[in-house]
Amino acid sequence: MITDTIDFRKTAKNEPEWLYKLRRDSWSAYHDSPLPDRVVHLWRYTPPEQFLINDPHDAMTAAIPMPKGNGHKIKTLTEVQAALGYNLSDMTTLTQLTPELSEQGVRFLDLATAIETGAGPVQEYLGKLISSDFGKFEAANMALWNIGFYLYIPDNVVIEKPIYLNRIPTGTNTMTRLLVVAGKNSQATLIDNYRDQAESAAGQFNSIIEIFADDHSRLRYVGLQDFSEKITGYITQRSRIGNQTDLLTVQSILGGTVSKVNTGTILDGRGGNSRIYGLLFGDNNQHFDLHTLHNHRSHEAYSNIDVKVVLKDKATSAYTGLIRIEEKTVNNEAYQENRNLLLNHGPKAESIPELEILSDEVRCTHGATMGPLDPDMIFYLKSRGIDYKQAVRMIVSGFFEPTLKNIPDDLHDAVNGIILDKLEKH
Amino acid sequence: MKNTIFAFKNIHVQVESKEVVRGVSLEIGPGEKHAIMGKNGSGKSSLANALAGHPAYEITKGEAYINGQNLLEMDATERARAGLFLAFQYPLAIPGVTVANFLRSAVRARNGGDESVLKTFRKDLMEMFAFLEIDKSFAARYINDGFSGGEKKRLEILQMAMLKPKMAILDETDSGLDIDALKIVSKGINQASPSDGGVLLITHYQRLLNYVKPDYVHVMMDGRIVQSGGPELALKLEDQGYDWLESKNARAVEV
Ligand SMILES: Nc1ncnc2c1ncn2[C@@H]1O[C@H](COP(=O)(O)OP(=O)(O)OP(=O)(O)O)[C@@H](O)[C@H]1O
Ligand SMILES: [Mg+2]
Repeated sequence: MITDTIDFRKTAKNEPEWLYKLRRDSWSAYHDSPLPDRVVHLWRYTPPEQFLINDPHDAMTAAIPMPKGNGHKIKTLTEVQAALGYNLSDMTTLTQLTPELSEQGVRFLDLATAIETGAGPVQEYLGKLISSDFGKFEAANMALWNIGFYLYIPDNVVIEKPIYLNRIPTGTNTMTRLLVVAGKNSQATLIDNYRDQAESAAGQFNSIIEIFADDHSRLRYVGLQDFSEKITGYITQRSRIGNQTDLLTVQSILGGTVSKVNTGTILDGRGGNSRIYGLLFGDNNQHFDLHTLHNHRSHEAYSNIDVKVVLKDKATSAYTGLIRIEEKTVNNEAYQENRNLLLNHGPKAESIPELEILSDEVRCTHGATMGPLDPDMIFYLKSRGIDYKQAVRMIVSGFFEPTLKNIPDDLHDAVNGIILDKLEKH
Repeated sequence: MKNTIFAFKNIHVQVESKEVVRGVSLEIGPGEKHAIMGKNGSGKSSLANALAGHPAYEITKGEAYINGQNLLEMDATERARAGLFLAFQYPLAIPGVTVANFLRSAVRARNGGDESVLKTFRKDLMEMFAFLEIDKSFAARYINDGFSGGEKKRLEILQMAMLKPKMAILDETDSGLDIDALKIVSKGINQASPSDGGVLLITHYQRLLNYVKPDYVHVMMDGRIVQSGGPELALKLEDQGYDWLESKNARAVEV
C-alpha cells in the first residue's frame, strides 16, 4: 500500500499532520479518479495513460535520508547568480543563496526542509493553485512529491541577478515541486532548467510549479526543458498575480520523447500584466503538447501569449490556449498568437485557441499561422551569397528571436544553441 | 564576342508553367550600364529573378555567363558568390534577423568565408549608413520588417555597396522613392558600381536615368527585347509611351 510509504515519510522526514493528510487525500484523488477525458482539448492530442505512475513506491521510498557528505558539496555561486538550487539523482537537493539576500529575509531551500523548519509561509500556499482536484497527475504529484524547492521573497526585496534551478530525474518516477511566494514590490528572475544525464534511467518526470506574486511585484520565470528522448515529461504551472503585478513566463520546450506542459496565469489584481512565451522545437519522433491559460479575474489587466513552434522530421505538437475573462470585469486586454514552422513534410502541428469571454468590456485577439519555410526568404538570403543551411539557421533563429530577446542573455544563447544543434542533426 | 562581364543568350523563363520570357539576349561589358524598360507584366522581373537563380523561375532554354563562368550551373548562392547581385523590386522582410547580422554573414559568404574581411565591417557599414542617409538604428532592426517602401530600396543599395558585386541587376530600385531619396539612392548606385563591372537597371522612369546614366536602353515587350538603343530611347518612351513599339511589333509579327 502506498499509504504505508506516506506514513513512513511522516515518521522518517518529520512531515507535519497537515501535509500527511494532504498527501493521503491526494493519493485517493489520484487513485480513485478516472483517466482524463480525451474529448476535452487539453487531452485530445496526448494519450494520458503514459503519465500514470508506474511505480509510486519508487517515487517515494528512495527518500531514505542520504548522508550529506561525499559528492554532495554545493557548487559555489558564480558572479551572475543570485542563488542556485539543484537536485541530485539520489533525491538530495542542494541550494545556495548570497548572504546579502539571506540577510534581507529571502529564503531559497528544500521544500520539505522549509516545512519542517518553518522557514517561511508554506501551508497557506502549497497546493492552493494546483490542488489535487486540478487533475489526476497533479494529484499524484501532491501525494508523492519527494523533491521540492521553495523560494520566498519578502516585500520590497529586489533580486537583480537570476536565480538558477537545475532539476534532473531521480529514477523511473520523478516527482518534483516548486513553490514561489513573492511579496509586494519584490522582483526576481528564476531560471528553471530541466535536463537528464547520460546515466539517467528512462522514465517519467512530473513537475508542479506554483507562483504567488503579490501586488506590484515583477517576476520572470523562464523554464528550459532539454531532456533527452528517454524522458516523458509532465509539467503543470500556475501563477497568481496581484494588483499592478508584472509576470513574464517563458516555456522553452525542446527535449523529451513526450512533453506535456500546462502553463497559466491567474490575473487576480487590477492592472496586472502577464506575458507567456512558448518556444518549442521538436525533431525525430518528439511529441509536444502545450496548453496555456490566461484567466482575467479583475480589471484593467493585460495578457499576451506568443507561442512559436518549429518542427522537423516526424515531430508532432499540439497547442491549445484558453483565454478566460470573468464576468463583471472591465477593460481587460488579452492577446494570443501561435505560429508554427514546419521544416519538412513529416511533422504535424495543431493549434486550438479557445476564448471564454464573459464580459463585454474587453479587447481580445487571437491568431495562428502554420506553414513551411518561405522559399522567397530562403532565396533572398541565398541571393546574398548565404548558403541554404545557413539561410535555414538564420530564418529559424529569427523566428524565435523576438521571443528570445525577452530572456536573459546567457539563456538566450543557450536556448538558441540547443535549437541550432537540433537543426544540424542529420 | 566582345569582352563581357555578363552575357546571356536566348533566355526562356517559365513560371507556373507559363512562358513569361521568350528568348532574351544581352551582353554587358566592363563599366557598362544597361537599362531595361517595358510595360507592366512584360517579364522584366521574371528575367531578373531567373538570372539570380530563383527556383520558381525556371530557365528552360538559353545560356548565361558571369565573368566567363557558366551561370546556369550554379545555384543562387554560388551566383551571388560569383559576383551577381539582384536588388529586388519587392524586398522581403525577414523577421528576427537583424540587418547587421545578416550583412555580416553575407559579406563573409561573398568573400568565400574569409573572416579577415570582417575587420573593417562595422566601420564600413556605418560609413555606408551615413552615405545613404540611413539612420544607424537600422543596423539593429530586422531585415525590411516594418520598413517603408523607400527604406527598403535604400537597404537594397546598402547591400549592393557592402557586397561589391561584379554585376548588379537593380529591379525598379527607383520606384516609391521621393525626389531626395532618388538622388541619394542614385548616388549610392553610382558609387557602388564597379568601374570594371556591369549594371542592369530595370525601370519605368527616365527620372532615374538622369542620375544613373545608361549606355544602352532596351525595351521588353511580352517576354522579348523588341528595341535597343542609346539613352535617347528612354526619352522617346517617356514622351510617346509604348504604343509606337506595339504597332511596329504587331506589324513585325504579321509579316
Ligand atoms: N511567381 C509568379 N507566379 C505566377 N506568375 C508570375 C510570377 N511571377 C511573374 N509572373 C507572371 O509573369 C508575367 C511577367 O511578370 P514580371 O513580374 O516579370 O513583369 P514585370 O515586367 O517585372 O512587370 P512590372 O513592371 O509590373 O514589375 C506576369 O504575367 C506575371 O503575372
Ligand atoms: Mg517587375
